Parts: sequence; structure tokens; C-alpha cells
Amino acid sequence: MESLRAIDFEVGEPANNMALDEAISISVGAGKSPPTLRLYGWEPSAVSIGYFQEVREEVDLEFCHSHGIEVVRRLTGGGAVLHTPGELTYSFVVSDRDPAVPQDIVGSYIKICAPIVATLRNLGANAMFRPINDIEVEGRKVSGNAQTRRNGAVLQHGTVLLDIDPSLLGALRVSHEKLSAKGAKDHRGRVTTIKEAIKRDLGHMEVGEALIEEFSKKFKCKVERARPSYNELSRVPTLSERYKSIDWLFRR
Amino acid sequence: MVEKASIRKVKNGKLVRVKVRSESGVIENVKVTGDFFAYPEEGLEEIERELRGVPIAKVREVLESTAGGITLVGVTKEDLVEMIEECLE
Repeated sequence: MESLRAIDFEVGEPANNMALDEAISISVGAGKSPPTLRLYGWEPSAVSIGYFQEVREEVDLEFCHSHGIEVVRRLTGGGAVLHTPGELTYSFVVSDRDPAVPQDIVGSYIKICAPIVATLRNLGANAMFRPINDIEVEGRKVSGNAQTRRNGAVLQHGTVLLDIDPSLLGALRVSHEKLSAKGAKDHRGRVTTIKEAIKRDLGHMEVGEALIEEFSKKFKCKVERARPSYNELSRVPTLSERYKSIDWLFRR
Repeated sequence: MVEKASIRKVKNGKLVRVKVRSESGVIENVKVTGDFFAYPEEGLEEIERELRGVPIAKVREVLESTAGGITLVGVTKEDLVEMIEECLE
């Protein structure tokens, strides 16, 4: 990987966020866009659920409705994530033939999460990768990550929690099986935030810049700032319709 | 018609739910949900389709033949076989 396109932090609607990640992966997979790191946020707040999750098992739909939280199914597997203003999302997309990313799935999570772990450690948080796809500080999750491989590209997106709004946690239904396996009493006990870990308030830009720098270091490439291409943006409306559809949301 | 569910937190893996609708030990419908990963994702839906009409004795065979090209992460084929069989017993 010679160069990494960095797309600066921007806040978007849930369905558009997912559509743009997919559009980028189509272009990167077709060789029309370079490897890309995109940083973004969500407005309105949303729950994203994994490709294989059943929405009713994971999400309190009434709570979401009454709190103005949208729900969207991702293209990637993994678990439900609550995206609030205190959360930073990234997506990292490379060709599936790029030797920088291992073919082995578990190995590629380690490789792509490494710059995130390094960023958190530089900021003073004692962060560690926790297989399969989490990053933890003192045993509590600060970042969840999910990957898909399709259209000739590897797309990994994930979340970094800067701060949390406990009043919105009711959006997620967390099963007893999962909590007891993690030794936590409730969802709040399972997760932590950068603010909690380093006792400082950091902005999205600051953490975003630190992430871009670490991706560039770990993948030994230069960074080029750019916007999504015309090609990518032109696909967003159609893809977004699918993410907004009831069929897609309730498909499992 | 019988509907049964099996739920499992896979050791070092993910939370998986299997729901099976069956009639006299023959699968009518299977749904596997959870926070695991499968590559390609559509492969899991193919497994679910192939399992329709399959009796308990053939679950392992059908799963092994259809799951060949699919990489599962956070759950194993063995977990799925056990959970589906559990729902049919």
C-alpha cells in the first residue's frame, strides 16, 4: 500500500453512512479508488445491527422510536452498536488482493485494529486487542470492529467510544448469556470510553487525526486527504434506499 | 409442527441463536442469528435453504457439504450441527 486516502470526519445519516462505506468498497474493489480510511459520525443517533442479527432480539424498537434513534442493518457481521454523538466511527477499505492485509480473517482483524490500539495507547489508555474483534481497556470494550469481504474489497468498520450517553443505552437489548460470559452486570459495565480511561475530554477531530497518523505508520504509507469520488457519491442514493428499507432491516 | 430454539454463547466466540421449525423430526425452516461472522455472508442463507426438508439424521451431512466454502468466525459448524439437532430432539 503506497498511499492511503483519508476522508475527514463528517456526520451523516445512518443509511447514508452505510451506503457510502459500501460504495467506497465497490470502487476500491474495482481498482477505481485507492485504499481508504474514512472517519464519520451519526446524526440522528442510531443502532447498527450485524448482518446476521435478528433486530427484535437486539434492539428495543419502542425505545428507539421514542428517543429518535434510527436502526440500520450493516453489511458486516458482528454485534449491535449504539452510535451517539460521543462515538467516532471509522471505515477502512482495501483491495482484497492487497498484501498489507492478511487473507486470514482473524489475522486481518489484528492487523487493522493495530493502529487503533496504538492510537489509544498514545493517548494514555491501556488498550489491548481482544479477539475476535474488540479492543478493550482494563477488560471493558472501548471499540468494536466488523469486517466483510465482497466486491473485491476488504471493508472493516468500527467504533471508538469517546464518551457515552447512559440515557440512550436502553436502545440495546443485551442478553443475559452475553453479559454473564463477560462477567458484567449490565451493558454500561461492559463498555468504557476514552474519557473514562484517560480522564480527559477529546474531540472527534483530535482522535481522528491521531488515527489517520497511526494507520499511515502501521501500513507504511503516505496519506492523501480527499473526498469521496463522484463515482462513489453517485452510488449512495440507491444503496441508501436498501439500508432504509423494511425488508433489509427485518431480513433476519 | 414444532418450533424450538437453541441459544449458545460459543466459548471464545459469539452469541448464536438457532430457531428450527419442524414436523416429525424433519426441518421446515432454520434461522441462525447472532453476532458471529460468515464469509461470504450469503453462504449462511444457502445453508439455511439447503437444510429445508432435511431429517435429523442428515443434518450433519447436509451442513458439512454446503458449508464447505464458507468461513465461519465466532461459531463452528459443529456448534450449528449440535444446536440444530438439539432443536429436533
